[in-house]
Amino acid sequence: MMIEGARWRRWIFFNLPLVLFVVGLLFPFYWMMVTTVRPDAELYRPWMAPNYTPFWTLHPTLDHIRYLLEETLFSRWMLNTFFISVLATAISLFCGLLAGYALSRLKFPFAGSLGTGIFITYLVPQTLLFIPLADIIRNFRLGDTPWALILTYPTFLIPFCTWLLMGYFKAIPRELEECARIDGATRWQAMVYIIFPAAVPGILSAGIFAFTLSWNEFIYALVFLSSPEQKTVSVGITSELVRGDVFYWGSLMAGALLGSVPVAIIYSFFVEYYVAGITGSVKG
Amino acid sequence: MAVESIVGAKPYVTTSRRGPVTRVLENERWFAFFLLLPTAVLLGLFIAYPFIRGVLLAVTDAKVGVPGKFVGLQNFALLLNDSIFRTAVWNTILYTAVTTVFKLALGLWLALLLNRHFRGKAMTRAFVLLPFIIPTVLSTFAWKWMFDPTFSVINWTLFHLGIIRTRINWLGDPVLALVSVMIVNIWRGVPFYAISLLAGLQTISPELAEAAAIDGARPWQRFRYITWPLLLPVTMVVVLFSVIQTFADFQLVYILTGGGPANATQLFATYAYQIGVGTGLLGEGAAISLAMFPVLLVVVVVQLLYIRRVETL
Amino acid sequence: MARITRRKLLALSSGGAVAAKTGGIAAILALRQAPAYAQGTTIHWLRWNDFVPASDEVLRKVIAPECEKTLGIKLNIETINGNDIQARTTSAIQSGTGPDVICALNNWAQLYPESVVDVSDVAEEIGKAQGGFYEESHVVANDGEKWIAVPWCVLGAQLAYRKSWFAEIGYDAPKFPQTWEEYREAGKKLKAKGRPLGQAVSHSFGDPPTYAYPYLWSWGGKEIEADGKTVVLNSKETVDSVEFAVGFWSDAYDDGGLAWDDTSNNRAFLAGTISSTLNGASIYLEAKRKPDVYLTETGQPLFQDILHAPLPKGAAGQFGYHLPMSNMLMKYVRDPKAGKEFLRWITSKQVYQAWFDSQQGYSVGATTIWEKDKLWDKDPVMLPFRTAARAGRFPGYAGQADRHAAEVLSKYIIVDMTAKAIQGTPAQDAVKWAHEEVAKIHLA
Repeated sequence: MMIEGARWRRWIFFNLPLVLFVVGLLFPFYWMMVTTVRPDAELYRPWMAPNYTPFWTLHPTLDHIRYLLEETLFSRWMLNTFFISVLATAISLFCGLLAGYALSRLKFPFAGSLGTGIFITYLVPQTLLFIPLADIIRNFRLGDTPWALILTYPTFLIPFCTWLLMGYFKAIPRELEECARIDGATRWQAMVYIIFPAAVPGILSAGIFAFTLSWNEFIYALVFLSSPEQKTVSVGITSELVRGDVFYWGSLMAGALLGSVPVAIIYSFFVEYYVAGITGSVKG
Repeated sequence: MAVESIVGAKPYVTTSRRGPVTRVLENERWFAFFLLLPTAVLLGLFIAYPFIRGVLLAVTDAKVGVPGKFVGLQNFALLLNDSIFRTAVWNTILYTAVTTVFKLALGLWLALLLNRHFRGKAMTRAFVLLPFIIPTVLSTFAWKWMFDPTFSVINWTLFHLGIIRTRINWLGDPVLALVSVMIVNIWRGVPFYAISLLAGLQTISPELAEAAAIDGARPWQRFRYITWPLLLPVTMVVVLFSVIQTFADFQLVYILTGGGPANATQLFATYAYQIGVGTGLLGEGAAISLAMFPVLLVVVVVQLLYIRRVETL
Repeated sequence: MARITRRKLLALSSGGAVAAKTGGIAAILALRQAPAYAQGTTIHWLRWNDFVPASDEVLRKVIAPECEKTLGIKLNIETINGNDIQARTTSAIQSGTGPDVICALNNWAQLYPESVVDVSDVAEEIGKAQGGFYEESHVVANDGEKWIAVPWCVLGAQLAYRKSWFAEIGYDAPKFPQTWEEYREAGKKLKAKGRPLGQAVSHSFGDPPTYAYPYLWSWGGKEIEADGKTVVLNSKETVDSVEFAVGFWSDAYDDGGLAWDDTSNNRAFLAGTISSTLNGASIYLEAKRKPDVYLTETGQPLFQDILHAPLPKGAAGQFGYHLPMSNMLMKYVRDPKAGKEFLRWITSKQVYQAWFDSQQGYSVGATTIWEKDKLWDKDPVMLPFRTAARAGRFPGYAGQADRHAAEVLSKYIIVDMTAKAIQGTPAQDAVKWAHEEVAKIHLA
């Protein structure tokens, strides 16, 4: 987008809006950080009180973080969430790869309707499913275990992964497989050894998306898990830090911040793929 | 077909002996079948089957711990008479419509800004996605604290800038509460729209715009007649997914207002949860969720048709 | 919970013999073996996050180890936000697994009568031994035929107010506005000084109902007649009460209250932004706990400026609704006997005493003997709470505190009636709406 004209025009039309956007989007994170280290005495001063410095604090404290790590099962929740997210992602990638390949590169009856069918499942609201799912979970005796989530998360991850990977697969030329098969490879081998490696960026993108979505999920985790040791980060923080007492906003923000860190780290390593993933999928 | 027969006929099979399994898998149809099997099983077991059970639940008067008996469409009749339900329907539609418009507008603007070259571009792009990455629940807590009636930092800022005299009751006034919820949703969604639209923008070759500029087109005209039409397919897809997500939104409202004050921010999903799980009226809760489905289906079908039409342009 | 052998049952009933037999916890730990009789017996107790955090500490650090020692049962206490207990209970019942004992608030136990164990034997025993239960505790935990939960406590609710601020407008302690009109006038003056009254009128389990219901009753309004069938919510008295509430709100109240949860008024009071609010004793106790953190605007410890008073009178009298809590034993547990043993033990006088003391008067026991406890001699500011539970009425008045009443409560209909009117709906319409909602529920 070209902005012609004088320097000042560039400032108004470009720099200023950009700065506003960045500030607006990132301010809550700054707020989380400040609240995390702000001592309680300052936290609970009403907004009209004098000497109120909301944007910084002169007496930072690590008490909230300490409380979070020592008095709650936060580390356990992080481990749980990590475990669940990794496994759910693995399962979804596996299914998504196979299904995406089939739907985009193979011809068979009902291919179109199956694709649409998978997409339709994305529309079914979780609030409709969780009560009947609770019954299924009970029958399989998975209640209150991470497996309840590991097996149910793919229900919304697979459609997404499939759709994403289909976009990538479609971009790979058909000739690759045909050459391989002429050379004697089976369909399976062609798929696994030729096509999949060509779609690695797509696989990484799908994986990261799936991981993020799993980490973010809330309803199923809220309904299917009950023991404190089994909870995920989102549910744990909501249920155990939103307490009746006066003092937990600090730890809440600490939890919110620390709970976002793993996803942010993975994201920072793979941001290229993340952006490319969205790019590839919307182009597809 | 020809390729297969050639393959079958070739004597120098480099792979191991082709047993019966391999042969079956060579058949395109069987291969597809087996590839789709895991997905079909998982989705069938954990979506299709519960969906049917959910539908069945919606036509009974089941309560927690009590299986309940068949009551036909009574739950739905009750819902139509339930003013809270009607409020929830209206809220959801309003919520989805308004946030989508804003997310699209702001996302597009941000995408246009990010499409230029400037120092720190990569890093800015990375940071800008953060609101979308962070678990919704956690960032919503931060907002809840920022909106707090007694301790809000936003109020403080506005007060000291002289813009307001008394505090703004973000979460306590019914209209403002809905606005607050929308603000958080827009905040979350803009990065996603921005990055997706940015990807779309980058596929538009810059020569087109340059050529138009040479021909004398102003920036606004260039945008309207070149950029926007080329961006439309991407836009529609992004909007589609976003609408689906926003319509079924739960976490945000649950954390920020719990549906209050007095149901002013009640959405389909939160109301279904409150009735089904909170009060234990499972049949009614399922009916509410089920009611969401046709509305969503209509919205999605309309959009899909529009996409198809746009794509063939 | 593991199956309990006969040996364990005998051990349970003879308390101390257990410890003697195995040489105490130390010996057991030295052997690195759990007592043979108590292999893996755990009870998962789900409770709300107590507004007096010290009590949760006592439960975890004192009572739980004691439980293990005496009963051989490992006590796993989970505390969550009170507002989430219903959701957890529903999902636990539906998925057939979850906490063994759930501490239900209000009359929520009435929503789950089919899913809990009949605990009449335990409840009767405790009641007899401790001077009988309060009426309020009885009706919420008993469905008319059997006990569906064992009453645990009653949280007294009183108006906590700033002594000095009320003195400034003419109410020197112990004088306090007696009627709603007086209270409104006082509130008006206070709000003019930037010190409004505070009240949550939202979907939170504690403060909103404990204000809305007694307020309604004091005007003469009620949900249903004693026959349990005729819904009479839409009456002149109710409409009057709602109309008054609207004016009262804008004159005297902090309008953030529509979005408050149960903790917001605590924080607002402690921060000095409101002058009076209906609450349990947690505000006072918190201020007392940290006298150098909570100060008045003159630099004095805040707790010295706090007093308590009951809700004002209305035309029909003066009422209170004090939040009862009772423990449900869930039907899906594998060993109900251990659960009952636990309930019997924890509600017994010696054990409960420890918890009661830590509450410092925030709650009273569900049985009447706790009125005589020495605790009440310690702090006169807490005295109004002592007999709070006696006067309580319960939601569903004048009918039963049954499933329908529990549903009306869970849907916050009475609270919303006022909230809607405050937000602009004409009082008549708000009341009509509430009446229809209540009628629908009672029809089902």
